Amino acid sequence: MADAAPSASRRYLTGRVLSYMALAVAVILVLFPIYWMLATSLKLPRDILRLPSLWPSRFTLDNFSKLLADGNFLVAIRNSLIVASTVTVISVIISSFAAYSMVRFRYRFRGVIGRLILFAYLTPGSLLFIPLSIVMAQLKLGNSLQGLILVYLTFSLPLATWLLQGYFRGVPRELEEQGMIDGLTRFGALIRIVLPLSAPGIAAVAIFTFTGAWNELLFALVLTTSESVRTAPLALNYLITSDVLPWGPLMAGAVISSVPLMILYFVAQRFMVAGMTEGGVKG
Amino acid sequence: MTDVVSSTDSKVQQRRGLPGSVRTKLFAYALVAPVVLLILGLVAYPFLFAVWVSFTDMVIGSAGNFIGFRNFQYLAGTATFWSAIWNTVTIVLISDALKLCIGLGLALLVHQHLPGRGLFRSVLMLPWAMPAFVAFLTWRVLYQPIGGGINLILNLTGLYSGVIDWLGTRQTAMASVIMASVWRGFPFWFVSILAALQSVPRELHEAAIVDGANSWQRFWNVTIPGILPVIIVTTLLSSIWTANGFEHVWLLTAGGPSDATMVFPVLAYFGMQTQRIGEAAAVSVYMLPVLAILVIFATSLMMRREE
Repeated sequence: MADAAPSASRRYLTGRVLSYMALAVAVILVLFPIYWMLATSLKLPRDILRLPSLWPSRFTLDNFSKLLADGNFLVAIRNSLIVASTVTVISVIISSFAAYSMVRFRYRFRGVIGRLILFAYLTPGSLLFIPLSIVMAQLKLGNSLQGLILVYLTFSLPLATWLLQGYFRGVPRELEEQGMIDGLTRFGALIRIVLPLSAPGIAAVAIFTFTGAWNELLFALVLTTSESVRTAPLALNYLITSDVLPWGPLMAGAVISSVPLMILYFVAQRFMVAGMTEGGVKG
Repeated sequence: MTDVVSSTDSKVQQRRGLPGSVRTKLFAYALVAPVVLLILGLVAYPFLFAVWVSFTDMVIGSAGNFIGFRNFQYLAGTATFWSAIWNTVTIVLISDALKLCIGLGLALLVHQHLPGRGLFRSVLMLPWAMPAFVAFLTWRVLYQPIGGGINLILNLTGLYSGVIDWLGTRQTAMASVIMASVWRGFPFWFVSILAALQSVPRELHEAAIVDGANSWQRFWNVTIPGILPVIIVTTLLSSIWTANGFEHVWLLTAGGPSDATMVFPVLAYFGMQTQRIGEAAAVSVYMLPVLAILVIFATSLMMRREE
């Protein structure tokens, strides 16, 4: 017994040290690309190739001013903001109606609709971008932000409806019925009782749909042709198709389009993680 | 408990009578209608339309005629198509296997009651919070032969002093794409498995200890069965997403060098650019049988978990 105790505690200690070492390696591997993005965006353009170094030898905001100088990237950011927030507002509103209907009522096609929504969620954009570009052209919505908004509903609506169903299921039925006995209509119960009680879930869904639309590249690439309706991912995509790759401005654009989202993630991570693990969210 | 619910239910029913129940049903359909109509119009219809287009010789500006399987036969005769099949399968199998191993390993590490586990979890999740296009553009910069971070690290640590063009060389391009895709994709596995680990009841572990199981036996007989359903759903979802991912290949290599990393979505996009829409649609439709199996399987598992 006296022998066993120290060896057990030594083994425990070794386990701890090894765990921390493995985690430290993982953390370095995760952080290095993010660090590289930040460092490259702050290097002098000529130093990026000529003086490869871990730490910028001279710090500069040149890349940012170069990227923003002609105003095109700001237009792209503005377009992305318009598209992503409109998609989010539309999705949250009509998806919460649908999710509420499917959670609270029993009717004939409920199961079919539930399956349809999941199928739609899992139908990849790579299968839809060709027909959708034809449909949008027929609707005269090609090459417009309205068209992009409509197309982004293909992934945001199923995702939002699927996730909101989970959150609404957690709202006790009794609270709603109490409210209805007190004179609320069904719709009033949804607006006044169910939605406020699901606020964290709605916030998570709003963040997911916003980032989904913010990050989208393939549909934007196929549907838009003119510079005035480019979104942020598209603007950066066209930077790398030029002959000389402008690494500095490219990474400056990467920083601008990702840092706000990563901060948002840190603030909201608790309920985002819950949504991600329950609903399966690609991010 | 059920009594309470059903008694309030019937009270509400009584108060509003029979016309009320019809109204309720109409109300339920009205609430769900916008989403259903939009999904039918924006997903179901385009999906069927894509299948139709793949059997036509449609080009931009003309409706096209039905030509049977000719697009499919034509594609099967091109080397690029076979590269796309091979590469898509390779990327899915290798990168998802790596994501599983890394995600499971890290989840097991973080699941121990280590001080600082919350911080580790937050940091390990960061690649998922980064937009995919930003992540892959950053990796593209990292892989640059001159001035790129990977070669710099190899040089500084003395592991290799030469210059490797990671994305421009046939032998390294695929591995580079897979590595970037694993970096961006493992957090989804990590967090899903971590949540599953936390839901395995403690009592099961304690009972196994009482029965004299060692930690390895507990891992195989308690932990793994406890998290298996989550691993299966995650595998299906991740395979669907990886197989249909566009950004990782498009932004890193655009399918090159000489088709070494060509995958289905990029091939379909190139087909679209050549304006031969029928052929491009046939590329996506070729993926359909395998995709349908994965999607149907995933859907039934997710619906069952929800019930």
